[in-house]
Amino acid sequence: MTGLIRQRDLIARLLQSRNVVPLIMVCITAILVIVPLLRIVQISLTPDGLAAWTDVTNSRLSTNLLWKPITNTMILGACVATGCLLLGGFLAWLVVLTDVPFRRFLGILSTLPFMIPSFAAALAWGTLFRNDRLGGQPGYFAANGISIPDWLAWGLLPTLVVLVAHYYSLAYTMIAAALSSLSADLVESAEMAGAKKSRILFGIILPVVTPALVAGGMLTFAGAVSNFAAPALLGAPVRMQTLSTRIYGMVQTGNIERGYVLALILILAAAALLFFSDRLVSGRKAFTTVTGKGARTKRFALGIWRWPLFFAAVALGMMTTVIPVLVLFASSMAEQSGGLFSNWTLHFWIGPAGTDLAQGQAGIFRDPILLGSILTTIRLGLTVAATTMLVGLVIAHTIVRYKGTFLGNTLSQLAFLPLFIPSIAMAAAYIAMYGTSMGPIPALYGTFTLLVLAATANLMPYAVQSGRAVLSQISSDIEESARMTGAGPIRRMTEIVLPLAVRGILAGGILVFIKIVRDLSLVVLLFSSTTPVLSMMAFNYAGLGFMQFANAITLVILVICLIASALVYLLQNKIQGWKSA
Amino acid sequence: MSAQDQISTTPAIAIEHLTKRFDGNTAVDDVSIRVPPGAFLVLVGPSGCGKSTLLRMLAGLEPPTEGQISFGGKIVSGGASGVQTTAAARDAGLVFQSYALWPHKTVEGNIDWPLKVAGWSKQKREERINEVLKFLDIEALRNRYPAEISGGQQQRVAIARTIGPRPGILLLDEPLSNLDAKLRVDMRSELMRIHRGTKATSVYVTHDQVEAMTMATHVAVLRDGRVEQFGPPDELLLKPQTTFVATFLGTPAGNLVPVTGNGEDFVFNCVNLAPTAIAPDLDTAQLLYRAQDITVGRRDGRPTVKATYAESAPIAGQSMVTCLIGDLRVTAIVDGFFRAEPGAEIDLCFLRDPDAVFDADGRRVTE
Amino acid sequence: MKHSMTGTLLSAMLMATAPAMAQDLDTMTAEELYEVAKTEGSVTAFSLSSRIARIETAFEAQYPGIDLIGLDINSTKQIARLEAEQRADIYAVDVLYLSEAPVVLRDLLPEGMVTKYVPPRIADQVPAELQADLLTHRLSTRALMYNEAAYPDGTPVANLWQLTTDDWRGKVLMEDPSQRGEALDLLTEIALRSDEMAAAYEAQFGMPITVDDDLDGAGEQFIRDLFDNDLVMVGSSSTLRAAVGDINATDPSVGWTTYSAARNNEKEGWALQISNDTVPSAGILFPAVLTIAKNAPNPAAARLLIDFMMGDDTPTGGPGFEPFYVQGDYAARRTIEDHPDAVPLEDLNLWTMDPAATGAARARVLDLILVLQ
Repeated sequence: MTGLIRQRDLIARLLQSRNVVPLIMVCITAILVIVPLLRIVQISLTPDGLAAWTDVTNSRLSTNLLWKPITNTMILGACVATGCLLLGGFLAWLVVLTDVPFRRFLGILSTLPFMIPSFAAALAWGTLFRNDRLGGQPGYFAANGISIPDWLAWGLLPTLVVLVAHYYSLAYTMIAAALSSLSADLVESAEMAGAKKSRILFGIILPVVTPALVAGGMLTFAGAVSNFAAPALLGAPVRMQTLSTRIYGMVQTGNIERGYVLALILILAAAALLFFSDRLVSGRKAFTTVTGKGARTKRFALGIWRWPLFFAAVALGMMTTVIPVLVLFASSMAEQSGGLFSNWTLHFWIGPAGTDLAQGQAGIFRDPILLGSILTTIRLGLTVAATTMLVGLVIAHTIVRYKGTFLGNTLSQLAFLPLFIPSIAMAAAYIAMYGTSMGPIPALYGTFTLLVLAATANLMPYAVQSGRAVLSQISSDIEESARMTGAGPIRRMTEIVLPLAVRGILAGGILVFIKIVRDLSLVVLLFSSTTPVLSMMAFNYAGLGFMQFANAITLVILVICLIASALVYLLQNKIQGWKSA
Repeated sequence: MSAQDQISTTPAIAIEHLTKRFDGNTAVDDVSIRVPPGAFLVLVGPSGCGKSTLLRMLAGLEPPTEGQISFGGKIVSGGASGVQTTAAARDAGLVFQSYALWPHKTVEGNIDWPLKVAGWSKQKREERINEVLKFLDIEALRNRYPAEISGGQQQRVAIARTIGPRPGILLLDEPLSNLDAKLRVDMRSELMRIHRGTKATSVYVTHDQVEAMTMATHVAVLRDGRVEQFGPPDELLLKPQTTFVATFLGTPAGNLVPVTGNGEDFVFNCVNLAPTAIAPDLDTAQLLYRAQDITVGRRDGRPTVKATYAESAPIAGQSMVTCLIGDLRVTAIVDGFFRAEPGAEIDLCFLRDPDAVFDADGRRVTE
Repeated sequence: MKHSMTGTLLSAMLMATAPAMAQDLDTMTAEELYEVAKTEGSVTAFSLSSRIARIETAFEAQYPGIDLIGLDINSTKQIARLEAEQRADIYAVDVLYLSEAPVVLRDLLPEGMVTKYVPPRIADQVPAELQADLLTHRLSTRALMYNEAAYPDGTPVANLWQLTTDDWRGKVLMEDPSQRGEALDLLTEIALRSDEMAAAYEAQFGMPITVDDDLDGAGEQFIRDLFDNDLVMVGSSSTLRAAVGDINATDPSVGWTTYSAARNNEKEGWALQISNDTVPSAGILFPAVLTIAKNAPNPAAARLLIDFMMGDDTPTGGPGFEPFYVQGDYAARRTIEDHPDAVPLEDLNLWTMDPAATGAARARVLDLILVLQ
């Protein structure tokens, strides 16, 4: 009898208990994330898979297949993360906390590079720095008599520079969001203590925005480590390989098992790093800056450094934004793919079909599929951004509230994992697991829904991390006082937490939008439709050798991203009017 | 009439054997307190004594490890059935130390939202908001945001928000600790007025014993998670049961002098202070002397001890003179304005018998 | 993974009758297939080439009432997707048009995931070896190309082994074989042809070749020597073509790419030419195959499409083959003539890849390359 009562008590306790929410979130994340992971592990444990493990880790192939690439990958990841944090952090500080002129402009400039596909930056680098190792057209500098050594034109250094130039805007977005929720009190208390500006920066501000730094660092690390385009373009001539190129190569040459083994190793290495960085952010109270006492943003006066720093920031923006876009634009206008700045024509944009040019292919705006593709792309972007923001917010909230507990830590690791699962593995696993009907859930194969699910899982880390960085700065008192009023968890979330965290959430949302709109690997395996998304169109053109069309479409993608970002920026500024200054 | 005698009616708050443990650390240890409706209970003690944890358990934000809490006879936490009524369902309001105002809502919005959540009609809400704004004298701030008002004003808004739904129990977590001294004094009377106006039972947490002495109907002195003593403030002040209470309460706090029995007398620094007859069973003891029982200078027939002058604070035409005897701080009251050179040698005279005797463990010895 | 009761019954019936039906369909003519296909109404095809869009227009014009859904997916992804789908019991695609024949032969065909279909109409017009395991649609190339403008007197590479000498150090380009299947196949073919490579070595250096102990034949020795001679790997094929073919280059490299790249010479300002005279061979011919997926939902339409794509009886193959009728690609069906601007197939000095043998040897060559990198 007592046993029954105990059980009933237990269940009642469990349901009532505060562990329900994280449990649910863990389940959801497990379905989204763990399933593909298990799939890869399962494949790697088949006889072929086990053979692959030996080949990769313990054979004469290992040096070139694993150890050199993983070293390159780790160096790349660490250096890119550091560079991005420095650059992004500097710009964020400049725009949010100082009185540098034209802050808005700089802010926008700093978010642009992320919208430009990384191969555009690699292309730009090649255009400038290519030497004659390949024969053919040398780059701008080499053509004008400046000899460029191999280590500058190809390999680790250019890849590093290109990736930093691409990803620093990611770090900028996260750090800027965190800095803008920094209360003036903290800064002013240090000013009162007589601390110099630099001291305040390093001693007060930096530590307090550590969550954002860690989040930004991890995301840029993840991005650098899984990036394929840059090392492929810039590394091949000097035989530099990274894990991403190796994984891609293994899959492309039909060695799926080796590819998955490499992917698993990559995941393990990254998870270890994540674990240690998670430790850094333990102890939520230390980073509470949004307390119930209201918040103002305080701006440093830069004095004589105002204009020099402005120009430095602009120069940075120019180099990482304008130049790649120019190259992209030029190459979409150039008749010959070799001579970028001669013989411009609008043919690839609006030219009619049947001419001599490009084997009679019409310009992209005459392609009837284009409009449908633009709509499909935007629809995809908005849907995925919405689902990831929702899932990301709830997961981030759960992680922050249950920090230090087993469930909280588990959720934290899980939410980050998708970044390291190569999209091709993710896509294959998703088809296998969810492509057919399971009980009441209908078969999702080939549907928009399946793609949205996979994309949500794949890109959720962005929303989670930016949500985390912002949420960990909201004092628990604010939520508890809401709890006291009797508001249920959903109401609390929508009416209290969301408005306070919205800036960080939107920052994550726009990132997701941009990523999915540019994505190729997920889309190509999961989405079958007669109106492909824009990235597929560009890819198709590139495959045909029509680089001009491909680049034109890439520019269309860029414009879409720009418009979306502008909208979000305006939105962000409108909704936080409760902060003065 | 002791505090316990007053409980013939159902206590508004009854805390019984309440214990809270965190990871092996006991924050609240077997606390039992009961107060009648309308009481103003002050939980006072140094940092880390468990008062805030106790308050949070009353609010329902933390579940107790052992023991139970009842409001008006109804169990809200713990007990044999393991009930844990949610914070919202308890008819209690909590004013946070940090005020915890929602920064994205105006003052009016902050007050309005809990009423909305509780399902009040629009008209009732408007009426109540006006009422509360007037009651706390913050009508002019209606449309401002928390970031735009001062600390004192924020505090009023926090209180307004909490009393809006007319909770039966009002919990306040160190509400005055962030205010300047003058404001603190003003706010004390304000809070009393509010307490009387709302007719709620209030539980007030502070580390400032002055607040306890001036505002409370019942005081619980807490140390290391335990209740050192519970009762009306006067009782605690006049009849402290432990040395901790004796030296914690009172402005200035009482002086505890350690003495050793020497046959007939208790001796301190070779001076006979009191006969051993007052506590015949003890070899060593601690004697409680109020500041008004010690003065500066020699008096005939009264024991005098040499001390080193430390500081002097003026208070209503008199001076509180603090001296050091070795490591022991002793405060005396002297008429008029008193000053001396820091470090100068001074005579301290014990004018009367000690007010209380405590044994070496700090417990009071009853006569 | 539950299906409804009726669904299970239906599919059971279908599967029971499917082999019989398929047998009939295999022998039908195009007209007969069209009648059945009209009841099916649509056909889904994966294609490695985006030219499927033009096929779509032509096919729907010729066979109204059947909707061709053409999806442009590269060969590797096609294989991955098909495997994933079929493992999940999803059968949504009818026709696959892909290269990577070695992988298809090794992984898909033995499992029955794809099946061969040869339209009876053209069965005797395709050489036997090109329809042995799967139907080849066309042959593509990976050939050594040089810059005609810089070397107007013909190819500077008379013998492949020259590429391992100091003259050509760092001046030989190739797509990364650990990334691109076609480049890997090229090297695998070289490895398989060890006798010819040994003979060519003797012709070049005047003495018999000594092969390193851990290598298996002159072919593999060539690969090692080539890598040791600073073979430059390129990330994208368009970069390679531009690098080799730039008409203004003074000292261009040579490299392996597809012969059909030369058709863009005028538009791009290139001077690419195939190095056909190189001994023992300039590269490889590899097949792009047309297959039908297992349990194709529209079996008749699938066959109709394949029949269509193999072209009509005109010399250029008609609207079904026309998008592929380019210089540098060769129809498997010999009634379709080679493009006049290209070297005719018979004169082409390229090894024809044997997908089965390549499939078996690929792994070893890949491992060799990985070590050499």
